Amino acid sequence: MHTLSCSDLAIGYEKNILIEDICLSIEEGEIAVLVGPNGSGKTTIIKTLSGILAPINGKIYLDQREFSEIPLSERAKKISVMLTEKKEYDYTSVFDVIAVGRYPYTNVMGKLGENDISVIENVIKEVGIEDIKDKSFNKLSDGQRQKVLLARALVQEPSVLVLDEPTSFLDVGSKLEFMKIIRKLAKTKNISVLMSLHELDLAYAIADTVISVTKDHKIEKKGTPQDVLTGEYIAKLFELNGGSYSLSGGFSFNEDEKACINVESEQCNEKGFEMKNKTHFIMVQGTMSNAGKSLVVAGLCRIFKEDGYRVSPFKSQNMALNSYITEDGLEMGRAQVMQAEAAGIKPDVHMNPILLKPTDDVGSQVIVNGEVRGNMRAREYFEYKKTLIPDIMNAVSYLSKDNDIIVIEGAGSPAEINLKENDIVNMGMAKMVDAPVILVGDIDRGGVFAQLLGTLELLEEDERKRVKGLVVNKFRGDKSLLDSGIDMLSERGKVPVVGVIPYMDVKLEDEDSLTERFNKKSKGLIDIAVIRLPHISNFTDFDVFEELREVSLRYVSSAKELEDADLIMIPGSKNTISDMKWLRENGFEGVLKKLSGNQKSIFGICGGYQMLGLDIEDKDSVEAGGFIKGLGLLDIHTVMKKEKERKQVTGTIPCLGGPLEALSNLPYEGYEIHMGVSSKKTADGEAISGEKLTDIENTSSKEFRSEEVVVQKDSVYGTYIHGIFDRKEVVKAIIDTLAEKKKVDINTEEYQDYRAFKESQYTKLSKIMREHLDMDAIYEMMDLRK
Amino acid sequence: MKRKVFSFGILIILLLILIGVNINMGSVAIPFLDIKDIIFNKDSSSVYANIMWQIRMPRIVASLVLGAGLSLSGYMLQTFFHNPIAGPFVLGISSGAKLLVAALMVFSLNFGFYISSVDMIITAFLGSLIVTLIVLLVSSKVKNMAVLIVCGVMVGYICSAVTELMISLADDSNIVNLHNWSLGSFSATKWSDVMIFTPVILISFLISLVLTKKMEAFSFGDEYATSLGMNVKMFKIILILVSSILSSTVTAFAGPISFVGIAVPHIMRELFKTDRPIIIVPASFLGGGVFCLLSDLVARCLLAPRELSISTVTAIFGAPVVIMMLLNKKKR
Repeated sequence: MHTLSCSDLAIGYEKNILIEDICLSIEEGEIAVLVGPNGSGKTTIIKTLSGILAPINGKIYLDQREFSEIPLSERAKKISVMLTEKKEYDYTSVFDVIAVGRYPYTNVMGKLGENDISVIENVIKEVGIEDIKDKSFNKLSDGQRQKVLLARALVQEPSVLVLDEPTSFLDVGSKLEFMKIIRKLAKTKNISVLMSLHELDLAYAIADTVISVTKDHKIEKKGTPQDVLTGEYIAKLFELNGGSYSLSGGFSFNEDEKACINVESEQCNEKGFEMKNKTHFIMVQGTMSNAGKSLVVAGLCRIFKEDGYRVSPFKSQNMALNSYITEDGLEMGRAQVMQAEAAGIKPDVHMNPILLKPTDDVGSQVIVNGEVRGNMRAREYFEYKKTLIPDIMNAVSYLSKDNDIIVIEGAGSPAEINLKENDIVNMGMAKMVDAPVILVGDIDRGGVFAQLLGTLELLEEDERKRVKGLVVNKFRGDKSLLDSGIDMLSERGKVPVVGVIPYMDVKLEDEDSLTERFNKKSKGLIDIAVIRLPHISNFTDFDVFEELREVSLRYVSSAKELEDADLIMIPGSKNTISDMKWLRENGFEGVLKKLSGNQKSIFGICGGYQMLGLDIEDKDSVEAGGFIKGLGLLDIHTVMKKEKERKQVTGTIPCLGGPLEALSNLPYEGYEIHMGVSSKKTADGEAISGEKLTDIENTSSKEFRSEEVVVQKDSVYGTYIHGIFDRKEVVKAIIDTLAEKKKVDINTEEYQDYRAFKESQYTKLSKIMREHLDMDAIYEMMDLRK
Repeated sequence: MKRKVFSFGILIILLLILIGVNINMGSVAIPFLDIKDIIFNKDSSSVYANIMWQIRMPRIVASLVLGAGLSLSGYMLQTFFHNPIAGPFVLGISSGAKLLVAALMVFSLNFGFYISSVDMIITAFLGSLIVTLIVLLVSSKVKNMAVLIVCGVMVGYICSAVTELMISLADDSNIVNLHNWSLGSFSATKWSDVMIFTPVILISFLISLVLTKKMEAFSFGDEYATSLGMNVKMFKIILILVSSILSSTVTAFAGPISFVGIAVPHIMRELFKTDRPIIIVPASFLGGGVFCLLSDLVARCLLAPRELSISTVTAIFGAPVVIMMLLNKKKR
């Protein structure tokens, strides 16, 4: 039954229509929440539907009766409204304030009868303000005041309760308490609730229906919170322009979520997001960065897969320069790509809804659901991230549809006590989906007992209870020496140790840009040097070379180190202009020019390719802004564009000259991801129209491009394609060429296809982990019996 | 509850004492024993009895009833404007009434026709209504209460200036009376006047008692009152009409009297420690009477045989209360 409804309603002030065509209906016990920017007209809707403001056109129905047909006093017994107001209540007691709500029921002198008093007393008990009922209203805190005003609305014994931003001035605890009361009223007394809210996270948690009102006064969306409050839609509705936005009020959703789950867990889960019961969660958290979480997650994914489960990895937020582009052209962290491969499924952006790519020490590019939201300072993001919770929950909910198990990876340490507020990656995440947690410590770097016990110590009581198992990772040597420590560890931590995993020598892609491999300086037979740009990006392009025994891959930070290299790579960059400057300031420019004169092979990818060109122009300040001369080794000219180009591409490399001639006509597959457009241009500045050298099959759009895939001049090469080396033919051609030039003998025939190689690594990983992990215990944590 | 009974008790005791003292004191003191005789032994022939019944008693009733009406009128305006410093004098409503009444008096003196008390009330009512409408117009344009009050004070000054001008121009022996009246005074009240203003004010008081429930709801805001099912527009019209009747009746008979309308309801709030109209309306009514009785006593006796204007005394008592109220408000 529709308690309150309206159709084709036009509302506004003094005949000036503000919002038209409003069609709403709120049913018994339903909680409908209006969201939208300031000035969108939420309050006008509230006032009209509560009868304070007369509609300009159209009709409002209350229990199937038209508003105007209901006598005012009778209507007041059915609808009550709670507005924000500013009366001076010098001497009015709480009881007196509430008693005013009995207005429609009392006689002309307002005398309270026995019934009135018992109704008031009941409501006071229900709202939980017995202790303050004789206090002066003036002396109350904001939270208490709102509860009193709610009580005043409730003593009208309404079937419809209308509230205008009831929680705006309240602290987290009060907001939550208030919402709990509202929820209880709606569900136990079948009161229909219509309210406007500014806190989207609250709206998400409490609403049955969310109604969005846009800045230009239109009711745009109506639906469940999951449908309406997606990150993208919120950004659109509130016109968030990346970094310029930060949520005021400092509201923490996590605390809310915690309390919410503790108090009304079924309702919260049922309300918060759709999740099938059969999806099981397990979360892997580490005591520190690089504790080996990513690999453990990948191993678990592989094990579950092997055991016949449909499994997906998940990490709410990745902080890495390294990104991957999915088939849908969306950007996500590489670690989840690797884990998805281990799980035997295609990478999906939902596996990593939030990706942060650091642009400098204090700022990052924020990518949500694969789309760039803009650059944000760390502090800004800290505030912003709580608005991303719906995105995270949507992603989990999406994944849970097709998976039996979701293995969640944490980030960093869960015990960063300064960052715990608004946590969405570690314990906050675990609470959101009620996942058991395995805590992984890194024994290789020492102090593993302190790591594990210290982390447990710093967790809150409820968080500690979530930790169901400890894992000692990266162990080398004789395990029997460790046994006594392990016993004490489970005893002191009161959490069982479910495994001691040895140092695993598996060659799988690393997540962070700060991995050990940057320190690798030893030289092999063939020496490939990758310039370690300060804003290096997508360096997994070169991983394929790491697997070759006779090839050393070095990341170099000084120009001197380039001298002996057989091949110099300039990788992609998140900030091309700034990195170009860095190259110049650190003497790379001269060295590179000299080496290219010596016919040394130089290969630039993406940003590196742009830097090899004549100039880079950033008119629209896409990155840092401005104009910079390139190295001038390739005749190209680059203009930064706001739109990020990204697509997966396959094709053949065009005919090339120079030392790497052997690459000509080889097939490749990879992806492009950049924010610039380069055109060919001679040194004197005259642009040559792009010559159609090769046809590239563009998998996403099936269009043909008349642009060179790989540009070459002398021994210098450049391309926009990441992953160009991933095919064995390409690698073989490069290594063969370099070996021949250097006159060393390398047998490249035995090189495996990189994919097949990785597959073998995953199998190896699962084998080792099965051996050293108590998988039965882990299945038990997830309520799964093998 | 105890506090309310106690406070009403205090007011009534004060009232009785003040009535006694008011009868007793004056240029001729009437001893209390004689008062008793006059009341109980019906000794109506003596000089004392004459002074008491013909001069002092009408004046006492006038201060009592008119003071009560004025204070109530102030309270209603405060409710109307949601502002504790609103009052008929501050908003210029009394001065508006004064202007029209003075004009009528000058007119009648010049053209030699008789004006009845009823004529006076109606003229004063029109005057206060005109100013009220001006104030309402201003208040609909500016939401700032300070601006509204300043406007009211300015309108009051203009009205007073025009009144003074007319008095200066009126060339007649009655001018002294007129001048006295324009400053405000309960002197020279006749029983026939009492018979007219007392019913008017008592009826207004009864109406306002019936309005207390609505006043309370309304004090929480126009919109909230609407949501409770109240016809707010109608209520506001009735409120402003009753308030105007009260203040104009007082002005017609005693001239403009300052600060009673603001000070008394405030003192009552402090005394009763409540904001509820159901208490404050009768309390202000009673308190206004007591306050004016006291003020009139001071006005008559302080510099006897010379008499001060009643506004002088109410201002001296009332203005500090208003200042204190503003200071308190600032503090919060």
